[in-house]
Formats: sequence, C-alpha cells, structure tokens
Amino acid sequence: MHQKKRKSVMNQYVADPVALEIQWQRLISIMDEVDNATVRTSFSTIVGESRDFACILVDQDGSSLCQSSFSPPNFCVVLPRTAKALLAKFPLHTLQEGDVLCTNDPWIGTGHLPDYVVLTPVFVGGAPIAFIGTVAHLADVGGHRGDIEAYDVFTEGIRVPPAKLYRAGRENELLFEIIGNNCRVPDMVLGDLRAIVGTHQIGVRRLQEFLTDYNMDDIAELSYEIHTRSERLMRERIEALPDGVYEFGLDIDGYIEIVHLHAKIEVRGSDIYVDYSGTSPQTRLGAINCVYNTTYASTLYPFKCALVPGIPNNEGLFRPVHVTAPEGCILNCTDPYPVQARAKTTNNINQALFGAVWPILGEHAQAGSGSIWPFSVSGELEGYGAFSVHILPHGGRGAMRNMDGLPPIAFPHNSSVTSTEIMETEAPILMLHKEFLPDTAGAGRSRGGIGQVITFRNIGDESIAARVRPDKMFCEPPGIDGGQPGKVGEVRFNGELITRFPSLEFKPGDEIEMRMPGGAGFGPVSERPLESVRRDIEMGYITLAHAASEYGFVVESDELP
Amino acid sequence: MPAQLNLSSAELAFSLSSTSRRGRYRLGFDIGGTFTDFVLIETDSGQITSYKTLTTPQDPSKAVIAGLQELLRNAQAAGDDIETAIHGTTLITNALIERKGAKTALITTKGFRDILEMAKEMRYDIYDLLMVLPEPLVPRLLRYEVAERVDGRGRVVEPLAVADLVALKPHLEESDIDAVAVCFLHSFTNPEHEQQAVAWLKNELPGVSVSVSSEVAPEIREYERMSTTVCNAYVQPLTERYLTRLQRDLVDSGFRKQLYLMLSSGGITTVETAAQFPVRLIESGPAAGVLAAVFYGEKTGVSNLVSFDMGGTTAKMCVIKDGRPIMSDDFEVARVHRFKRGSGLPVRVPTIELIEIGAGGGSIARVDELGLLKIGPESASADPGPACYGQGGVQPTVTDADLLLGYLNPEYFLGGRMSLGRAAAERAVQSKLAEPLGMSLIEAAYGIYQVVNQNMISATRVHVAERGADPRKFTLIAFGGAGPVHAHQIARELKMQGYICPAGAGVASALGFLTAPVAFEFARTHIAHLTQEKLEDLDVIYAELEREGRARLAEAGVPEEQMSFVRKADLRHIGQGHEIVVELPFDQLADVALDDVLRPLFYSEYEQIYGYAHRHLGVEITTCRLTASGLRPQINLEKAETATESLSAAQAIKGERPVYFRELGGFVDTPVYDRYQLRAGMNFAGPAIVEERDSTAVIGPDADVHVDIYTNLLVTLKYE
Repeated sequence: MHQKKRKSVMNQYVADPVALEIQWQRLISIMDEVDNATVRTSFSTIVGESRDFACILVDQDGSSLCQSSFSPPNFCVVLPRTAKALLAKFPLHTLQEGDVLCTNDPWIGTGHLPDYVVLTPVFVGGAPIAFIGTVAHLADVGGHRGDIEAYDVFTEGIRVPPAKLYRAGRENELLFEIIGNNCRVPDMVLGDLRAIVGTHQIGVRRLQEFLTDYNMDDIAELSYEIHTRSERLMRERIEALPDGVYEFGLDIDGYIEIVHLHAKIEVRGSDIYVDYSGTSPQTRLGAINCVYNTTYASTLYPFKCALVPGIPNNEGLFRPVHVTAPEGCILNCTDPYPVQARAKTTNNINQALFGAVWPILGEHAQAGSGSIWPFSVSGELEGYGAFSVHILPHGGRGAMRNMDGLPPIAFPHNSSVTSTEIMETEAPILMLHKEFLPDTAGAGRSRGGIGQVITFRNIGDESIAARVRPDKMFCEPPGIDGGQPGKVGEVRFNGELITRFPSLEFKPGDEIEMRMPGGAGFGPVSERPLESVRRDIEMGYITLAHAASEYGFVVESDELP
Repeated sequence: MPAQLNLSSAELAFSLSSTSRRGRYRLGFDIGGTFTDFVLIETDSGQITSYKTLTTPQDPSKAVIAGLQELLRNAQAAGDDIETAIHGTTLITNALIERKGAKTALITTKGFRDILEMAKEMRYDIYDLLMVLPEPLVPRLLRYEVAERVDGRGRVVEPLAVADLVALKPHLEESDIDAVAVCFLHSFTNPEHEQQAVAWLKNELPGVSVSVSSEVAPEIREYERMSTTVCNAYVQPLTERYLTRLQRDLVDSGFRKQLYLMLSSGGITTVETAAQFPVRLIESGPAAGVLAAVFYGEKTGVSNLVSFDMGGTTAKMCVIKDGRPIMSDDFEVARVHRFKRGSGLPVRVPTIELIEIGAGGGSIARVDELGLLKIGPESASADPGPACYGQGGVQPTVTDADLLLGYLNPEYFLGGRMSLGRAAAERAVQSKLAEPLGMSLIEAAYGIYQVVNQNMISATRVHVAERGADPRKFTLIAFGGAGPVHAHQIARELKMQGYICPAGAGVASALGFLTAPVAFEFARTHIAHLTQEKLEDLDVIYAELEREGRARLAEAGVPEEQMSFVRKADLRHIGQGHEIVVELPFDQLADVALDDVLRPLFYSEYEQIYGYAHRHLGVEITTCRLTASGLRPQINLEKAETATESLSAAQAIKGERPVYFRELGGFVDTPVYDRYQLRAGMNFAGPAIVEERDSTAVIGPDADVHVDIYTNLLVTLKYE
C-alpha cells in the first residue's frame, strides 16, 4: 500500500511546500524534546554532560527522517542501518505496541559495545508507522579495564544481540538482569536504559499527536518527500563537482604498528564512490578496528559538511555516496576483532578524504587535526568514594583554505571538555597546567590550530588507575596544498616518553603530561602574510626560532619583543 | 469605513492625562537600542503616564533627561514627587556585542590563562566547517599568570607569589588597561588568594577597576566563572561612568530619592551594587517584560503563563509557573550566531530564562535550496523594513504577510502614524515566494504566517516540556507589536487554555520595572552526598549567604522587617548528571529529618517534573542558593468603566474587513473592534480584529473574548 503511494509523483507536498516545511520542523522538534528529556533523566555524565548520544526518527522501513539538533553526526548515519537489521530479525508485522528493541552488537550498531541502540515502534491504527531511536554510550559494559589493549571483542564486555528490551510494554526481566550482572555500575546502566525508554514514550505520544493534528495515517508520503528532495539536492551538489578519480593515502598512528589508510574517490555524475582498498588489514595490536557501519558514517560526514551543511540530516543525503572497504581491512573488520578504541582510526578518515578531494571542495576542505586525547582516572579512596572521571581534550584543528585552524576543539566528533575544577573535586588529582603549546601548529598560508599541554599529578595517598588514549604521536596531522603538518604529540610519565597505554598505575606524586598536536596548515607557507606571522609571535603562538625556520621570518632589530 | 481616532474614557486610563493634586510616583525607564521608554505611575490611583523617545547612543542620559522632563510635564508632576526610580538598559549588552568595553587584563592561576580562549572545546555547529568562535574579550597578550594554587578540597597547595604580581606591575601599567579580572582555580571554595591579589591591585593600581571571580560568580567550572568575571570587568568602567552621570543628571532634574537598577533576575538593586556587578544587568529589559506578564497574570488571576513578546526581529518566550518565571544561570551574551546555543560568551548570573528565536515582524521569508519556505533569522529590521513600509525593502516579511491576510490595517498601523503599502507587499510575496513555489499570492502569505508561527510553536513546546510542564495548562500572554497578531494560532496549536492581550501592550512591558522588589540572588557550589550529619554544613553556608543578603538589602534601604529569604538547593539522585532546584522551607536543616522529610521532598518534586523518581537512590546536593528580597511593590491599575447591561460589544465595532482564516475556508468579513471603545465586562466571539495604536489582536474562530476590568482581552479557546 505504501509502495503505491511512493510511486505517485504528485503527492500533496509537491503542491504544498509549506506543509512540508512545517511538518518537517515539527518532527525535528519532537526529537529535540526526546533529546532534552534524555539529558535531564540520564544518570551517566557521558550521556548527560558530554552528550554522547543521539535521538533519531526513522520511518517504517528503517530509513532516518530526522535527528535532534545536537546529535553527534555519526550516530545518525549508523542508526538507520541498525534499525534495518533489527527489523530483519523482528519483522514489522510481528511487532506489538509497547515493544522496545535493542542491541549493542558492534557489527550491527555503531562499532563498539558501549553504544546501545534502542528502537521503539510508534503504533497508529494498530500498525507500526515509524520508530523513535536512540544511540547512547552507556557507562559500562563489563570487560577488561583497559581501553586499547585487547585481543578480541569478547574481552571488551557483554554483547546483546538484537533483542526485545520490552515486550508489549513489559520489561524483559532476564535481559535486564543479564545486562546488570555484566557491568560495574548497574544502577547507572539500567537507569539510563529505562530513562531512554521513558523518553521514547514522549516521542511516541508526540508523533501520534502530530498525525492526529494533520489528519494523517502514516508518514510514508512525508518521508518520501523529505528523502527525495534531500537526495535531489545532494545530487545537484555532487553533479557540480568535476568528474574524476581522486586518490590519497596516509599513515596514521594505529597502536604499536603504524596503520595505512587509502582512499580512492570517484566522482561520477551525481554519485560519489569511495573505495578503501589498499588500507591496512585488521589488527589484534590494539582495539582500533572499525566495523563497516562506522567507516560508512565517517565517510559521509566530510561530504555532508562540504556540500549540504545547512540541510537537516536524513537518509536522502546519504544515498548518492557509496562506500566500499575490503572485508578484513581495518575499516571493515570482522567479528571478533577488538573494536573498543575504534575512534583512533575513524577520527582520521576525514584526513584521507580531504587529502584526496580538497582540490574540488573549494573552501570546504580541512587539513589534519590534532585529535581527541581521552584521559580518565578511577579508583576508590577515602574522601572521594568510588570515582571515575574523564576529560576529553583535543589538539589544534586543521586549517581551512582561507581560515587558520581553530585552537583545541572537538573534531570530527563533538563533545565538551570537563572542567579542571570538576576533575579535581571528584578525583585526587591536580592539573598543573592546561595551556597552549607554542610551535605545534603546522605552518601555511592558513596555519593550523595551536595544540595544548596538560599535566596531571596524583595528589592522593594511594595509587589510582589512569587511562590515556593519545593520537598522532608518530604520524603528523597532514597539511594540504603545501601547508605543513602539525607537530606530533607526546605523553610523558614522570618525564619519560611512553608509547604503550594499558591501564596505568598512577602512584602518589606521579605526573602524566599530555602534549597534544597542533593542526596542519593549508596552502604554501610563502603565502602567509607577514603581519599574520608577526601577530602569531606577539601572541606567543609561535617562537622566533619557529618563525625563522618555518616562515623564514627575519626579525628586524627594532621589532624584537 | 475610515478608522477614526476616538478617545474614550477607557483609553484615558492609559493616556497622558493630568491630575490636579500632587501625587506620589514611581518611575520606570528603559534605554533600548532604538527607543528610551518611560512609565510613571501615580501610586494611589494607578494612573499611568508613558512616554517614548529616541535613544541617544552617544550620550544616553541626554534622552533620559529630555524625556523625563517631557514626561513630568505631561503628568504635571515634579522631579521630587518621584519616590522611586527604576532603570533598565541595554547599554551593557551592546557594549559586549559591539566590543566597546574597557581595555581589560586577566590574571589567572599559573598555567591556566588560555582557558578563556579554549573554552569548552565544543563546536556549536557540527556541520559548519567554517564555524567561527567568539573572540575572547581579553587577548592572550593581556592575560597574565601568577603562581598560586588551591586544590579541589580548598587547601592551599602553593601560596600566592606576590613577587609575580610585583613583576606584572610594569606590564599592567604599560598596557594602559582600565580594568582587571582576577580568576584563580577553586576560588569559589577558598577565595583567600583572590582577595590578596585584589587588595594588592587596588593598592598598586588605583583607578583601575577590579573584578574578582569569587565575588562575581562564585560557582564551580573555571571557564564559565572566568568568562563571567571578564565580562564584568570589561563593562565595569563604562557602567560606572554612565551611572554616575545619570544619577547626577537625575538630581539636576529634581529627583532626590534612590535610583534602582533592574537585574536580569527580575530583582532590583542599588547603583553601587550595579556598578560593582554590571554583568548582572545584561538582560534587564527582557526581565522587566516578564515581570509585566507576571503582573498581568495576577491581575487576571492566571498563574501559569507563557509570556510571548514578538517585536521586529525576534520573539521571546518565557515560562511562568505558579506565578514565578523560570530562572536559569546558564546565559550567553554576544553570540557569533544570535540563535545558536554555544556561540557566545557564557555569563553565570541568575537570569530569567527566555528563549529567543528569529521570528519577528521584520523576519524575511525565502525559498531555500530544498524548495521550502523558510523564515528568518535574517530580518529587514527597521531599515529598510518590510516591503510594505515603502522604504525600499523588497524582501517579503512576516509583516507583509500579515497585511495581505487582512490582519493589519494599512491605514491604522501605529495608530495611523504610518500607512502600509499593499502593492509593495504583494510584489515582494509574489516574486520571491509565490512564483518560485508555484502558489497563489494568498497561499504564500499564509505560508509565511504558518511557518513563522510553527517556529515559535516548536520552540515553545520544547521549552515548556523541558520544564516538566504541559502547555495545555498554560495561558499565553501576548506583548509587542506583532504578539497579539500571532497569539491565536500559537495558543491553539499548543492547545493552551487561551491567551491574554493586555491593554496598552506598548506600555505594558515597561510596567514590569515598577513591580520588581529589591532582590539579590546568591549561589555557592557545595557538592556532597546528603547525610543527616552533613545537613549542619548546609546551615553554615545558608547562614553566610543570608548574612550577605541582609547586608545587601540594608544597603539598598530595605528595613529589617521587610526582608525575606528563600533557601533553595540544586539536588539530584546520587550518580545523576542533572539537578533540579528545590525550595527548602526550613530555618535549620540540621533539625530536619533527612529520610522522612528532605528526601521525600526531593523525590516528590522530581516526580512532578519527570513522572518518576528513583527512591532507592540517595540525594546529592551541588549548589546552595538563596534569594534575599524586600517587599514586592503593589501597584494599582486604574479600572475601566464597566459596561452597562444595555451596552453590547457591538457598539465598539468600527467596521469590518475581509480577513483570512484557513479554518473558515479563506477570507471572511470580520468585525473590527476599536480597543478604546471596549468596556469592562463586554463579551464577543471570534473571528474578530481588535485594533489599538501599537498592535492588533487577531482573534480566530472558536474563541470567546472577555474584556476585563482593566480592558485586557481574555480569550478562551474552545476545543472539540
């Protein structure tokens, strides 16, 4: 029946674009409401403070229609793929009102175990017509205490296959018990799962009201129109790019061993084909393997930003981009390779893509960035109780064609850095400094964003566990069009350079220093205006020595500061 | 039928009338970007005199003095008849937006001066690669560091190195700064080092104004506290100069009493405190508008309200629950993108929470790249203004649509002071929207109306829900020139009970100034799992806050017996990331049974908002809050003449015109009521248009209008 509707070219929205705009905006606002409720009722700081979750509305085929305004980009691309897999196991006609589906299987979901995907059908007239979906990074899934050193996914925690979390409105008690028994903070994890299901009820009610208000039975036609228009625009934008094959390969840190990423991008008509053949094979040296879903999402992101930044994200925009990665390579790893720290790889995919297609993206290409450097400490101490706090600081961001790179800021994901005072209140640590690190930014017409340095000291009486996940300690953030790479980072433990990052024993008085990379430059160094170099010296972003070696800047004697 | 300006006795209630005897007055005045507004109320009779004049940006007090003289002349009052004057201003906000504040330095704990620039390392737009960050108010060159350190428990790890301050002196002197902000880590717990540094600075650098974080915003999170302190320092010299000048000029005009300043929190404060903490005045104008809504709510017996103020470029909404506006201390000023959260400078001071969206009469409609009709946030503003203003605007705006749909009377805009050009509106809507979208002119105009309304409806729906409230239990109260034009559809789509269009909406918002009590908000971060023993610690903190409050109130001239203190706490379940604010109606917390009284109080408040509480989990406190206030002034409104039984509303009809109501199938001839002919007690039904000088109320079908004793329109919506 819905198929029939879709074939009709002349649906009501073609005649009434106002209705389309109004209804689309209202769907987004429904997801914003679900999103707000998630923040308000969540237990973990990773959901509530760092906002590591997304709320997405999908149609009855499992295609995404819209996301809440603040949702992290990658989740929105992955969730519909997960939804389709869940529906393959629990077909539409078998669903009952009050069912809630879920999974955290990395190969079906977002690529590592902490991300649970929860999907609630919206029933109208006795049939499911859409789904409210959430992906959220939950606080714990059991498994080993390290982060990056793992042999396989089994050591990384519990895996929940596509399952019904609720059946016809009733909790699947056994499943709740299994999840709770297999993590360290069951109150927090089960509390968050229940909170998510609660927020979905808000979404279900709002969508039902929406249909009543507009006298609609389903959203098939609306979905069709949103997808069609979005796809059409995306295709127009791709069409405007010159056809051709663009290729770029680069080395990234990996873990213990350097990893090579290789992207071959073909722009043909209104389609883009991305192939990662030539990329390193999957590895057991570090949980840095990416499942295909994550690779796919990370591949779409730069194109979305460059071509249609202002259009609300939805599946129509994804359709013209096709991604292949050979099975068994690090960008399409097989079960049961370890995946927990896959962001160390996915965060660098944009560099391979921009490295290949920058010549055709105008001002919307970006040089390499300094990456995210997660740090956390946990333990149990008198006066602090059981604590676990994390901070997500960043290196400098890559330069754009005509814009210097930003100082430390999240990219390509998004998150918020924990305040020093919160860190120091919740754990026995002192941060000795958190400041810009001069001479780290890659030179160029536009220079990279400056990196930063943070040093942590254990001021407690006992040892605690510290985890650090650095990036770009070996492979620099790459420059574009003659722009110079950013400077690599370092981790020093009591002054000693370290390169292995299992859970670290952080003893009283110990210090961990994280020197984070700067972003890379864009464009020939010779084209940087002298006054910009002078200003960078004045601001202390670069030293005179760096100005001389990188920019050939010779200081007149009267200019000496 | 030509609209006739006919002064009625009802209108006289709001007119520039005179009294023969000398009364006692309260004066409110607000310096906005364009206009400076005055409202004077005679305390006993409630008679109101208002006046509006153009702001004089170079020397704002010029317009104030000239306007005040005009106002007093109109009211036949003298300067010393004014007992209290309350002032609000956008000068501080504008100085921050336009970067016209003082040359400011920042002194931080060694190793942390770049926090001001790194902020939270978060992007406010995840898809815009060309996203620009707000430039910090203090450039790196003027950010200095000194050795000192306090740890997370408030213990001194390293004493303040006075030698570092001494070494800074020549730099500070050379750089010719006017203001310094001081922000050290954990000073909200232990302010000792900050106090030492401030004492040194005041001594060594007389004439430089000093703002210190433990006084400006003593709350955890160094970036937000630093940003707030820097904003304060940045505007302090100009605020001080301005207030000194203003006070002197007021005295010259004969005013002898206390001048108060409106705060973003809806309280008022003295000139001295305002000059010390100008950052607390940033949202004073909008706060006054919300207080006016509260006031009208009281007068009409409605305590759950959404105030809705729609002007030329934006619409502002505020939720008022049980007669109290929702407060927040999470405010941003000087955003790079006005409507993007996270693109501005955070300011952590108590603020009445308003949502602002780019939907005003001047908001421009366009067809976007997907072929959809979009509105704003770009606005035609006042210059060139909507196409129908005939000042050269060619883009279709909300006002153009309102005109084409018959909602506005082209001959009675601003009471007839300006006429609107229908042809220009048609041209703009036809060429920019109707043709590209393949719609008729009227369909396109109604499209504008619907889309702009939907933008406001969505924002309101989410905002009300965020507060755990249900819009169906609320009443909309419409202000601003465009508010009453759009209120009907917004209230109906949100299934609200109805809406109120206050009489004299133009004056109404300024009335808020006159209803504000002297009030101060205090907050102190204190993170602890609640146990029976630890409740004593809270008493100590609240006692300190109360002492501070008492001193401030006394300074502001509030007598002891009029002082009141309300204790509140930010509480959450242990392990939860988000708190709710709970009022603690206890004098001594140590005497309160935690498990039997305090915890249940938290759970029941939590349940009320979110539907369930986790009663098996303990309770954690994060912040102690205290409001110290004086009495709220009671002001009377002059009552309107009551209609005699024989007088029906039909007598106030001054004509009819075709007005577009989609529910009724298109244009229908609709009666046009003259607001100034309406008498208290009259009733009529929609569809109807009610015209007054500064705004037009568009009443749709299925609505009953009651004219109350103050000639407010109380509209009840009927649902099937």
